[in-house]
Amino acid sequence: MSIKVKNLTKVFDDKKVLDDISFEVADGETLAVVGFSGSGKSTVLKLICGLLEKDGGEIETSEGDVAMVFQYSALFDSLDVADNISFALRERRDLRNKYSEADLKDIVSKKLELVGLSGIERKFPSELSGGMQKRVSFARAIVTEPKTILYDEPTAGLDPISSTLIEDYIVRLQQETNAASIVVTHQMSTIKRTANRLIMLYNGKIVFEGTPDELLKADNPYTEQFVKASLEGPMQMIS
Amino acid sequence: MVTFKQYFRQSVTCKIFRAFYKQFVDFIATFGDIIANGVETLKFIMLGQIDRKELADQCVRFGISSLPITLSIVGMTSIIVTSQVASEMVKQGGGNFVGLLISILIVREVGAVMSGFAIISMIGSSLASEIATMRVTEQIDAITVLKVSPIRYLFVPRVLSGILMMPVLVIIASAFGIITGAITTAMTTELGFLAYFDSTWLGIYMKDLGVCLLKSVTFGGTIALISCSCGYQASGGAKGVGLATNKAVVWSLVAIVVWDLIFSIMFFF
Repeated sequence: MSIKVKNLTKVFDDKKVLDDISFEVADGETLAVVGFSGSGKSTVLKLICGLLEKDGGEIETSEGDVAMVFQYSALFDSLDVADNISFALRERRDLRNKYSEADLKDIVSKKLELVGLSGIERKFPSELSGGMQKRVSFARAIVTEPKTILYDEPTAGLDPISSTLIEDYIVRLQQETNAASIVVTHQMSTIKRTANRLIMLYNGKIVFEGTPDELLKADNPYTEQFVKASLEGPMQMIS
Repeated sequence: MVTFKQYFRQSVTCKIFRAFYKQFVDFIATFGDIIANGVETLKFIMLGQIDRKELADQCVRFGISSLPITLSIVGMTSIIVTSQVASEMVKQGGGNFVGLLISILIVREVGAVMSGFAIISMIGSSLASEIATMRVTEQIDAITVLKVSPIRYLFVPRVLSGILMMPVLVIIASAFGIITGAITTAMTTELGFLAYFDSTWLGIYMKDLGVCLLKSVTFGGTIALISCSCGYQASGGAKGVGLATNKAVVWSLVAIVVWDLIFSIMFFF
């Protein structure tokens, strides 16, 4: 089991954002985490990759790196594409002297080829479109051959065609790396095209767990409201 | 019926008290962050974990880009002071000591402090806004997830460049200040360059030069550390970047004055 989350709890300012949630993701599997904005989806990712400290519960991941693709790519704008991708290999203490310049160049070009962006090594993030930035951030995330990949709203803010392209790359990376992946999203197309299973969060709890097909067919007031994007239902936004 | 407790909670006094309390807590938290980041930065420097290329880039940024404004501020301060005291000293028969007065003033105080102020405006604000932008755009989170220490990658080259470049800037700015003092003296009095420079070295001892260098090293490191720390703690969007930059400038200015007071007490009381 590559990711095992047991009784996870996180509290912000006396509010339980995650309340005793548990789930597992196997190697080569992609789990979508869905729910309203502010339902704690991104918090789950930040807890798994260690950006936040948990207040209770356990998180276990397979040995190896945990990679994360951020919502707005989070590319280093002072570095070019090649330096962004090779950043961990150049700066990490355990990897710093392991690769020669020729090796780094080769690795960067292979990763760029994998995300369909060969030949843009010397461009800066500001010269790329949103979709291209996202794909460069995929390449940066997988440069250390991680066993766990986390995607925070990978298709947010992209046009439908770019979204489809990104979704295809998520599937391709899943097949190439056999990593356990978690995709945080609220876009139905991303859920359908990338996820093997999904969990829905509301009020810090898991209110639905199943496959994308089951999400569409389930007799569950939460999933019905989500699928229909209805204002009427058990989930209420705080306005 | 409104109880006294409810009445007090809604009162202006309570709101003012809360605002002061919030400021106090924020002060302690910021101070604690600066100390903690400083200790970790020092640890990496002692361990020799320094990215030489990044350090060279930061030294160019710290030294070269801030030189014009540093020279302007120190030079103009020297002109202002000299133009006010030189003619008066000549009138009172103390013309032979104009060079001595100006050089003591610049080497002991103006050179380091005014350079510090120039560096805060030029470099400190830019460091804080750069790192704060990296924070709010999740670039620092990305560095952390990639298992690279943000303190080693961001703080070490910037703080070290402050420590290394500030003394160079202060030496150049002080020399420039003494020369502009000489030119001003020659323009506003009958005193020649020779008379001015004859007394320049009379009142400057090795201790003064040592304290000047110690001040500049401390100021450079402090400005860079405070600016990086304030940027590092930023949150929110554009407003957060603005607040972090503002905080870095205010804290750096106060820190320079406090350090200057400490050095004055230690070496000249």
